Amino acid sequence: MHRKRFAMTTVSLTVNGHLQTHPVESRTLLVEFLRDHCRLTGTHVGCDTSQCGCCTVIVNGDSIKACTVLAVQLDGAHVTTVEGLAQGDLHPVQKAFTQCHALQCGFCTPGMIMASVDLIAKNPNPSKEEIAQGLEGNLCRCTGYLNIVDAVHEAAQLMRAGSHA
Amino acid sequence: MNTTTVGSELYADTNFSRAEDLKLILGQGHFTADQSYPGELHLFVIRSQYPHARITRMDLSQVESAPGVKWVMTAKDIEAHGGKDLPSAPPVMTTSGKPQELNKMPVLAREWVRFVGQPIAFVVAQTYHQAQDAAELAQIEFEEHAACQNADAAKLPGATPLHASAPGNVSADFQSGDLAAVEAQFAQAQHVSHLTVRSQRLFGVPMEPRAVVAFHDPATQRTRLHTPSQGLLSMQAYLAQCSGVPESEVDIVTNDVGGSFGLRTGAYSEHVGVVIAARVLGQAVKWVGTRSEVFLSDWHARALTLNGSIALDAEGHILAIRFEDRVDVGAYNCYMSSFIWSRNLSVTMGGVYRVPALYMHSEMVYSNTTPTSAYRGAGRPDIAYAIERLMDFACHEHGLDPIATRRKNFIPVADFPYKTANGTGYDLCDFDQVMTLALKLADHGHYAERKAAASRAGKVRGLGVSTYVEASGAGTAQMDQVSGQMSAQGVLTIVGVTGPSGQGHQTSFAKIVHTELGMLEKDIRYGSAKTGTALQGNGTGGSRSLYGAGSAIKNMCVQLKAQLTVLLAAHWACQPDAVKFQNGAWVAEAATLTQPLTQPLSTTEVLALLTPTERAGLQATGEAKSGSTFPNGCHVVEIEIDPETGETAIVNYTAVDELGRVISPHLVRGQVHGGVVQGLGQAFMEQVIYDEQGQLITGSFMDYAMPRAGDLKALNNATVELGTELNLLGAKGVGESGCTGSLPALANAMMDALRPFGVDRMDMPFTPEKVWRVLHSKA
Repeated sequence: MHRKRFAMTTVSLTVNGHLQTHPVESRTLLVEFLRDHCRLTGTHVGCDTSQCGCCTVIVNGDSIKACTVLAVQLDGAHVTTVEGLAQGDLHPVQKAFTQCHALQCGFCTPGMIMASVDLIAKNPNPSKEEIAQGLEGNLCRCTGYLNIVDAVHEAAQLMRAGSHA
Repeated sequence: MNTTTVGSELYADTNFSRAEDLKLILGQGHFTADQSYPGELHLFVIRSQYPHARITRMDLSQVESAPGVKWVMTAKDIEAHGGKDLPSAPPVMTTSGKPQELNKMPVLAREWVRFVGQPIAFVVAQTYHQAQDAAELAQIEFEEHAACQNADAAKLPGATPLHASAPGNVSADFQSGDLAAVEAQFAQAQHVSHLTVRSQRLFGVPMEPRAVVAFHDPATQRTRLHTPSQGLLSMQAYLAQCSGVPESEVDIVTNDVGGSFGLRTGAYSEHVGVVIAARVLGQAVKWVGTRSEVFLSDWHARALTLNGSIALDAEGHILAIRFEDRVDVGAYNCYMSSFIWSRNLSVTMGGVYRVPALYMHSEMVYSNTTPTSAYRGAGRPDIAYAIERLMDFACHEHGLDPIATRRKNFIPVADFPYKTANGTGYDLCDFDQVMTLALKLADHGHYAERKAAASRAGKVRGLGVSTYVEASGAGTAQMDQVSGQMSAQGVLTIVGVTGPSGQGHQTSFAKIVHTELGMLEKDIRYGSAKTGTALQGNGTGGSRSLYGAGSAIKNMCVQLKAQLTVLLAAHWACQPDAVKFQNGAWVAEAATLTQPLTQPLSTTEVLALLTPTERAGLQATGEAKSGSTFPNGCHVVEIEIDPETGETAIVNYTAVDELGRVISPHLVRGQVHGGVVQGLGQAFMEQVIYDEQGQLITGSFMDYAMPRAGDLKALNNATVELGTELNLLGAKGVGESGCTGSLPALANAMMDALRPFGVDRMDMPFTPEKVWRVLHSKA
């Protein structure tokens, strides 16, 4: 009558440079692994259909929505979350977000920032059109996106200037 | 005072950064779902899948015996533990002279369910998945009844009534203004026009889904409740009303809030379930809504039809405006709905115009849908949309120029303070100045050339103008109070009632203190008052936090300045009246001092001069009474339609807003951006759809379109700062003006583009499909 319990699997991921090994139900999503097992709550859940992008993180160099993948699928992977971005100093994308007033409530911000980091990594000199296109998978209800696009543009500029120095 | 700040200059203000931002960009924000307690239980809501049904049998025994389940709660349990129905605004006085009979929503359905998503039972289990799995074992039998999927269906002859007290499904009808005077004006009018517009049902969509976590301490008999709110005191009072748990036994904690937009004033069913479960079980209980759940159960927005009529004389002067509205309140009267659909809708129904006669009649109708309540603007965007569409429509129908006719009908500056024909008092506005600046910034003079160029490129271009005025929130508390306490280290902590959800309270309030008292912004903190405070005031809402709480902060600064003056005089060994604070610096009249000052002192230096005890003694409660203000503006929009696809691009957007004194230009601009894009969402894509059986068919982001990056590429923004004497700061509210100004401007631009194709009206949202059909149905 009662459903049988879901099988438990031990999953190891390198999250922000630290090895995280936890036994989890096989239905555990990456975002649940990060939030509930690693206690990294900077990665947010804003929907249940993989539309909002609040849970965007970087896995093995690509930004993904952490609600679209099971933790067990990623055993051994390297994950960067918003908490792992600032290395002493703020990351240029973080800096640009605050300087351009690209956040209000801040709930979509971690996902926006992670999607932007990946966008700039793959296109160091994006046009505003390309930025808007690149952020199509991330929803924000407060800012109207104008300052977010400006911030990513600004961050790319900062990063290009930084790499020439 | 009559100054203008043009948007582009604001960008020059570099090194901007809000105090709120750092933790949020580091991922160290603390939202409700981030709150966990060891051993916490999880609550799952069993919801109605039927829009209208009687529950004939409910067998939850298998749910109760499922693994991990601690408690299954039904309506009886809620009542046994003191729970009541969810709150509603006071009843409206109806046209028959009787007060509206309210049908409040039960926390959990008793015999009837009246909308899809209505909570029926709560399952509390050790894990979320256990609660969810157990809920599937519920055996509930329903006797289905015919449903009304919207207010129009509910008004059809033979429609099934939702509530015994409302046989025709009319919850209340409300009127404002003078019907006889309006009819007399229409009888003598040269031109008359009628236009019906719809402000379709929306979701508010704060990005953080609603959530609540409660922890009960049996030793102290106190419950700590974490939840997003717009201010703790209103959440607390509403929670006490519907949970039966006294305010004195609950501490509400709100850390970061992922947007509110009017949806988070008070407690929902889940708050009551979580708080009662935590107290009864003696364990922490958590509920975090999924997006699908909160789409079903967060109060919905808008959902009304406004049937407008305007009477004009031969020269195009407005003689009268009349509205007949039909509002969908959903299945129950919840929270602000009765207030919004009466006061808010009618208070500025004459718009920016001198109108001799006004009359509004509104019918609030029940339907088998989620109840509606406040969402950004709460009635004001709807009425501004209706007036400004009607104005444009009438001008085109009678061969009048929309811009010249607006100008001719503006309430002239000399007429302020102005009382509208239905009794609203505006203090001071200059609509002509505002529109003139907007048209200039929009380069209106060269529009014809841009239109011709677009036409050569195969695009269909349209221009829309809106001129709006809105009444920001009057507030429900008698006054706004804040308390300020300096620490021994010289950090000023201010506590007020209003709670932020992204607006930047900390940043603007610190700026007010910096301006008034000279303290550095980094030494100022703001927090929302907790249970047991003696402070009174209003939560966030109605665009009033900045001028409501801000005015109280200004008053607090006056008192702190007086205290500092006395302390400083003692240090300088002079009379207090010799000490002056001017241009941000403290000085004393030289003759009064035994040793002359080498230079004026900053407030930071003065605080450093004081002893820690003196600093810690600086304390004041600021207070101010601030009512509604009348923010107004003019938005000018140019759109281009691609006739191949029906897609619309916004190619020129100018917003000039008259907001009184601007405290934080960046934050003002951010509010305008956000408001305009929410308006764009309503104009072009967002709509909540129920099918004819009353099933919600836009139940996720897969079906409910949201504005995305790039939908608005640029916004030319300026503010005009006219003083207002309605509050100590001289500021007006900005939070909702973007929504209010954008809807009519966008819609007027769309109608301007489509008019050559024989179309003079179209309901929002202007989806590519709808627009394409119009462009391609031309013979």
